[in-house]
This record gives sequence, C-alpha cells and structure tokens, in this order.
Amino acid sequence: MSSSKVNIDEIKKNINKKSGDWIKVGMSTCGIAAGADKVLEKFQEEKERRNLDIRLEKCGCAGMCYAEPLVEIRVKGMPQVVYGKVDAKVVVEIIDRHVLRKQLLDDHIYNIKVQ
Amino acid sequence: MKIILIKDTGPTEKTKIIYDLFNALLRDAGMHADYQVVRAADIGIYGKGVVVKIFPGDIVYQNVQEDDVNNIIDTTLKQNKPIKDLRLDFQNKQIRIVLRNCGVIDPEKIDDYIGQDGYQGIKKVLQKFDPEKVIDEMKTSGLRGRGGGGFPTWMKWNFARGVEMDQKYIICNADEGDPGAYMDRSVLEGDPHSVLEGMMIAGYTVGASKGYLYIRAEYPLAIERCQKAIDQARVYGFLGENILGCGFNFDLDIRLGAGAFVCGEETALIASIEGKRGCPQPRPPYPSIKGLWGKPTVINNVETLANVPVILHKGGAWFSKIGSETSKGTKVFALTGKVQNSSLIEVPMGITLREIVFDIGGGVLDNKKIKAIQTGGPSGGVVPEDLFDTPVDYENLLKLGSIMGSGGMIVMDEDDCMIDISKFYLGFCVEESCGKCAPCRIGGTQLLNILTDISEGKATMSDLDRLTKISSAMQKASLCGLGQSAANPVLSTLKFFKKEYHGHIVEKTCQAGKCSGLFKYEIIQKKCKRCGLCQRNCPVGAIPGDKDKGYLIEQEKCIRCGRCFDVCKFEAVAR
Repeated sequence: MSSSKVNIDEIKKNINKKSGDWIKVGMSTCGIAAGADKVLEKFQEEKERRNLDIRLEKCGCAGMCYAEPLVEIRVKGMPQVVYGKVDAKVVVEIIDRHVLRKQLLDDHIYNIKVQ
Repeated sequence: MKIILIKDTGPTEKTKIIYDLFNALLRDAGMHADYQVVRAADIGIYGKGVVVKIFPGDIVYQNVQEDDVNNIIDTTLKQNKPIKDLRLDFQNKQIRIVLRNCGVIDPEKIDDYIGQDGYQGIKKVLQKFDPEKVIDEMKTSGLRGRGGGGFPTWMKWNFARGVEMDQKYIICNADEGDPGAYMDRSVLEGDPHSVLEGMMIAGYTVGASKGYLYIRAEYPLAIERCQKAIDQARVYGFLGENILGCGFNFDLDIRLGAGAFVCGEETALIASIEGKRGCPQPRPPYPSIKGLWGKPTVINNVETLANVPVILHKGGAWFSKIGSETSKGTKVFALTGKVQNSSLIEVPMGITLREIVFDIGGGVLDNKKIKAIQTGGPSGGVVPEDLFDTPVDYENLLKLGSIMGSGGMIVMDEDDCMIDISKFYLGFCVEESCGKCAPCRIGGTQLLNILTDISEGKATMSDLDRLTKISSAMQKASLCGLGQSAANPVLSTLKFFKKEYHGHIVEKTCQAGKCSGLFKYEIIQKKCKRCGLCQRNCPVGAIPGDKDKGYLIEQEKCIRCGRCFDVCKFEAVAR
C-alpha cells in the first residue's frame, strides 16, 4: 500500500488549531439575494480601515432564510452570536459595539452560543 | 459575561417594557455592570409570551410579566435559584446531520470540511471495510432515498453491486425542481464535499469508478462550488487513481440539466446525460441493473448522499436511533408559504407537522387561520389542519394521500383556494410533461380543463367523477412518476376539501377569494366610516363616491385584486 497525497488527520488537527476572532457571512444564494455580498464587502472595508485583527470568512446557508443576511461572530470574551437582517449600517454597529466595545446589539440577535 | 436575552413571543409586544424594567431594576440593585440586557430578534421559541433567557446557564423563563422581573433578579440572579412557575422546558427540535456543515464551514475550502470530520467516512471505508460491510452498515442505518420515493439506499447499492460489469456509474441527482424546494441547492452550496464523499463511498461499494453530478443549470452558484470542490478533491488525491493509497479509483464530472422538470426522473436523467432528449423509459430494467450507457448505475439524491459519510463515520446503529420505526434519520424541509419563519429545517423523522409549523416555523403569517400544508410538490398532496398531529414519515404521508417528496413544505392559510392550488400544480405538470405517453399528456390537459371550468363556475357535479376517473387512469397507466403522481394534488384536495369543490360548482363561490369569477367585493354601508381609503387604494378607479355620499364598488370595472378588502380598517368591505 502506497501512501496518499495528504494526511487527513494532520489537516484536521491544523485547521482546528486555528484560533482568534472571526466573522462569518452566509454566502449562499439565499444570503446573496438578501445582500450578503454587500455585507461582506462592508466588513472587509471596515476591517481594513480600522486595521482589525479578525478573520473574515464565508459560509453556506444556516437555514434561517427569514433573517438573511446572517452573520456569525466570535470575539474573545464574548459569546458566539448569530446576527440577522444585517445591512451596511448594522455592520458598522457590529464593529463598533460587538467587536470593539464588547456589547451585544439589540434587535438583531437570532442565536447565542455560550461555550 | 452574563447576559439576559429578552423577546416577546406572544402578541403583546412587551419586549421593550420588560427590557427597560430589567435595566432599571438592575441599576437600582447596583448590578447593571455585571449584566448585559439585550433584546433578541428571534429567540427560537414561539407563542410563550415574554421569554427571558439567562446566560450562562440553561434557564429559560416564559410568560414573564412586569411583576416577575424583581423576582427573577432576587431569586435567580442574586441567589442563583430557578423559579419553577416560570420555567420553560425547552428543547431544540432540529437535529443537523445533512446540514451539519451548512453555515458552519467555508464550502470553498476543503480543509474546513476535513476539520469537521470530513473524508473520515471514506477513509474508514477504504482502510477497514469491504463493500459487503458497507452494505451491512447502510442496512443497519435504515437510510431511505431522500428524493421522495423512500427506497432503501442499501438495496439500490446492493442491486448494482450484484451485477458483474466492466463499468458502473454513480449519479447524484441534483435536478431539484419542485416549486418552493431548495434543500439540495443549500447542501451543494453550503457543503459540497459531503455529497462528493457520499458518491465516493457509493462508488467503492458498488464497484464504480466514475460518477456524475447532475445539477440543474439554474443553480449557478451550486455548480461553481461543486466544481471547486471536485478540483480540490483531485488535488488532495481524494478523486482520481489509488485514492488514499488504497487502490480505489474514482472520478467525478458535472453534467447540467437544461431546466426540464422531468429530467429529475431517473431514466429521463440518464437519457439527458447520454445526450438524448430527456424522456423517461419504461422500468424495469431499473438503472441499478441497466442504467447509464447500459451499465449498472446507482442514482441517489443529494440529501441521501450527504447522509452517507456520517453514517459510515459514526455507524449505522447510531443513525438508526434517530427517527421513527420505518423511517430513520432526519429530513430536510424547505418550509415556505404563509409561515412566519421561511426556513430550511432539518428534523428527525416522526416529528409532527404541528411542531414543524408552530414550534419551528413560528406559526402562520399575520395571524390568519391555517388551512393546510402541501408536501411533496407537484407529486404530493395537501394535509389539512386537523391532521397536523400526524408524525411525518414516508408511510404516514402516503396514507394521507401525499408523499414525503424531496422536502418542499408550503403552508397555506384561509386565503388559499384548494382548487387554485390544484390548478397550479397540475398546470406545472402539464407544462413539464415530456409528452411521450398518452395518459400523462392527454389526461393532464383534460384534468386541467375541468379544473379551469370549476374555477370559473362552469362545471357540474358530474365533473368531479370525471376528475377521479382520469386521475386514476393517469396513476395506473403513465410511464413515469411525473404522470403517475401529477393527479395527486387534485385527489388529495378533493378528499379533504370536497366542500370547496361543492362551493365552486353548486354555489358558484370561492371563499378564499382566489377564483376571480366567483366572488365580488362589496361595501357594507352600515360598517363604512367613509374614510375613503379604499377609493385611494383602488388601482383601477372602480370605487366612485365621496365622504358625504359614501362609496360603491363598480363591479364591471373591479378587477378583484382585493386591495380595498385588505386596507379597510373597519371590515366594511365584504367578499
């Protein structure tokens, strides 16, 4: 038996080692139709403008179509939160309040996961 | 950090009041620095008054009134004790197996998938299982086809495995076409590698080295992400020759569907891949024996395949613990229509329709009265509200004259006319019929003619017998599933809503106000407050009059759009 090209367990270990803060934007057809691409762009813009150390990532549809665009966010010292009905204005609020001041936003929370 | 999450899930809209009260009382107690009081947009619970969740911990309170806030602060926040009377035992009704990675990983990164136990199923299979053992595991799991038919997956695989042949094929049917259904699209867009891995395992089991993903061309993003996934899998050596160094060869290609609904039928799909016109063929022989280019071919739906890697990774026995007696595992549904939360849900088989609509869907839109739920798309039927406590599985839905189908679930309220619904679905099938066999081609058109007559008040009671007769001929004599099931919406509405058919035929009325020839709008002068709102909203100027003389609807001009009916605040417009 010859060895394979990659070592699955090695990759798994490495990817799960990744830590730090992240923001995920749901970028499936449903999300994009509701404006998720603009939300991701805005996050990118704000991240660069303020020089934030946070990973911006894309993901698929989380199922809550009624609340798209959906954004999930993990910031150290805060619970993992899913924000819904996010637009450019809410993006700025998320950065200002959630990321920088560690305060949760009113009226946009669709789920909270406390580790 | 401690959090108090608040949301009024009832009709009283007290979120803000309770929120302000918490803030004020916490400040009085000098505790406001320790807590973040937050208004939720959605708290995942419905119809339980003001719901308060306290984090960390698992305390959920329901029907919280103004008077309770002090008690919550004293008892729960200060003394860390729960208040029994307010406590809500809440359990999330959704289980995520198929959608395990959707919304979690970046679908364009293979490493993300691997990080969530991706490609562990195929690894285990290639290193430890012979094909026989995979079949056993699949049999134990009890997985049945999620495309709608519910045929045991292991059996399909076993048939193909049993045929000696130089070449065999695995096809993933992603020609999702039911109106209102988007389960497969979401899986392909959110977690394409899970489908690839499922196909690889199927390939190893039946002895196939080639697979095709048949995706409808209307899903450009799904196609793009699947292609990326295939490319990445090739680079990693998960596709190609000598996969994982275990001597197994398998490769995949994408084929696009050109927008014909019938190509979701397996024999038509095969014809389409072969470059022929997408027409069904008589079965047997079944594709498992003689399929693509005459070779044994396993055709599985997207959702079925996405289940496979988890089953092999965690074991068939684990999977079979979820679900009902005859239907194991979960089912993904696209819940749409007149429901608060249009959403993609995954629930264990055996859950009731009522739980789906009210506990997950959040109930009906605009507080209207719910009438029925449509399952299974154009091949399915409607289930009336009084049968909502039926546990959802393949057999139960079939008994009710509907089908599980691929997972479209459309909620209907009092404004939906069942004749109109039947007309819509039948019209869809007539349009999509390939025209090859007479029962489907002619029967469908005739059924549609009769339904149109009914909706225009031109039918007689004897037409109902003709509906039943033609339907049963189509069921028995059509060549493929499209024609065999096209009459299902007609038969099931006829079974559960015969009154509505009578209303249209005998009284010439359409209660729901959908069949425009069968109802009219009138102003009830006694109730009219002469505000003029109806006049201002009428798009065709059919409401003459003024504040002194009152208003009247001119029936010749009225297009029965219902604007006046909707805008009147005094219920002075009658239908």
